[in-house]
Amino acid sequence: MVRVSREVMQKAATQLGSLTKTLSEALVCPLSKHPLRYCEQSNSLISDAIGVSFPIKNGIPCLVPRDGKILEEEVASSKPNNDPNLSAVNEENQGRGS
Amino acid sequence: MRALSSLFRTSTSCSARRRTTKQPFAAFSLAPFSTHNYDDTQNSKVKIFDRQLKRTQRDRAAWLMPSKDPLLDNVADNLLDRLQDCKKNFPTALCLGGSLQAIRRSLSSGRGAIEKLIMMDASYEMLQVCKNAADVSNNDNIESVYVVGDEEFLPIKESSVDLVISCLGLHWTNDLPGAMIQSRLALKPDGLFLAAILGGETLKELRIACTMAQMERDGGISPRISPLAQVRDAGNLLTRAAFTLPSVDVDEYVVKYESALELIEHLRAMGETNALFQMNTVLKRDTAVATAAIYDSMFAAEDGTVPATFQVIYMTGWREHPSQQKAKRRGSATISFKDIQKQFGS
Repeated sequence: MVRVSREVMQKAATQLGSLTKTLSEALVCPLSKHPLRYCEQSNSLISDAIGVSFPIKNGIPCLVPRDGKILEEEVASSKPNNDPNLSAVNEENQGRGS
Repeated sequence: MRALSSLFRTSTSCSARRRTTKQPFAAFSLAPFSTHNYDDTQNSKVKIFDRQLKRTQRDRAAWLMPSKDPLLDNVADNLLDRLQDCKKNFPTALCLGGSLQAIRRSLSSGRGAIEKLIMMDASYEMLQVCKNAADVSNNDNIESVYVVGDEEFLPIKESSVDLVISCLGLHWTNDLPGAMIQSRLALKPDGLFLAAILGGETLKELRIACTMAQMERDGGISPRISPLAQVRDAGNLLTRAAFTLPSVDVDEYVVKYESALELIEHLRAMGETNALFQMNTVLKRDTAVATAAIYDSMFAAEDGTVPATFQVIYMTGWREHPSQQKAKRRGSATISFKDIQKQFGS
């Protein structure tokens, strides 16, 4: 019974997408080594230093630089013209790699 | 159509990022921050291994992996035995890619008094398998957390872990010194770095068989087996990454297989198949069969099994701490060696 309730709790935790304390304390952006911010809305970790968001899949954060997506606001503010191209190409490249 | 799309990519690349024109592969290097690009910042570094391909291979390995692999279990046990030689406890540990499951199995005996374990791998599938396995057999009280990451871009905060373990993963990194320096930075002062990598003697039989078969059938050779570190390199690497009290030792395992094809199956299940950038992606069936035949005829034992050598280099190093012993400054001695000789006689 105890075990079941624990499992339920764990499931709830992963559904919420919240990271455990251990992880959120230890993780930094793999490229800039600056702290990451957890975004509940998109369920991702955001590196504000370089404006990249890293997805969290099933409670496992994916911090390989290749998995990162450049945030649109960031790109839009710096280079307004290339925003759609960049993200599209980014996806294309990811597809090619796998 | 393909030409068109690549043209499109080129044009976007030129407008999106400032780029020197001499790069022939600029059109293919659009994903910013990818591990696989020929980017401006990355251009100086040597690219030997295709990290993305390795990731995919590890995804496959996650599905093929047997629940117990004697070779990996042995290496993991041997590596973690070193924890018992230390008086120190390691509450937080980081486990880098490689044979994660073997490490997890081996750690559940409570070595090193680990309380929190961060498991990192480049392959999401591999971590998912580990996570599922840990959920089922929840028999120890190590709190495990999982993160997908690249050893070359370690996403771990500086001075945050007591122990970094890497079991048979680091030999696939392009920038091994860089990965080791990042591991050192992730360690707390007086933290321990434990790594096992495959050494240059690994799969020497297969190397010979491949070369002979390719010479015979294709009239030339292409690299089929990746370049690996030698023992002397391992010591240099530890010193270069500024680990203190470095130590290196070597072990050789000879695994016996029914046939050469089973060896390849095992390599696949370990995710240790070829991931060289300059890989020749065409392997003729003829050449493959010839390789197996040469392997059998040259190396088969009397009982019909074929041996394969795995040389494992174990590396141990510590992050600097004032409490550690170190050599005194040069010229700081107060007693002459002549006096010592007099004291103890000749």
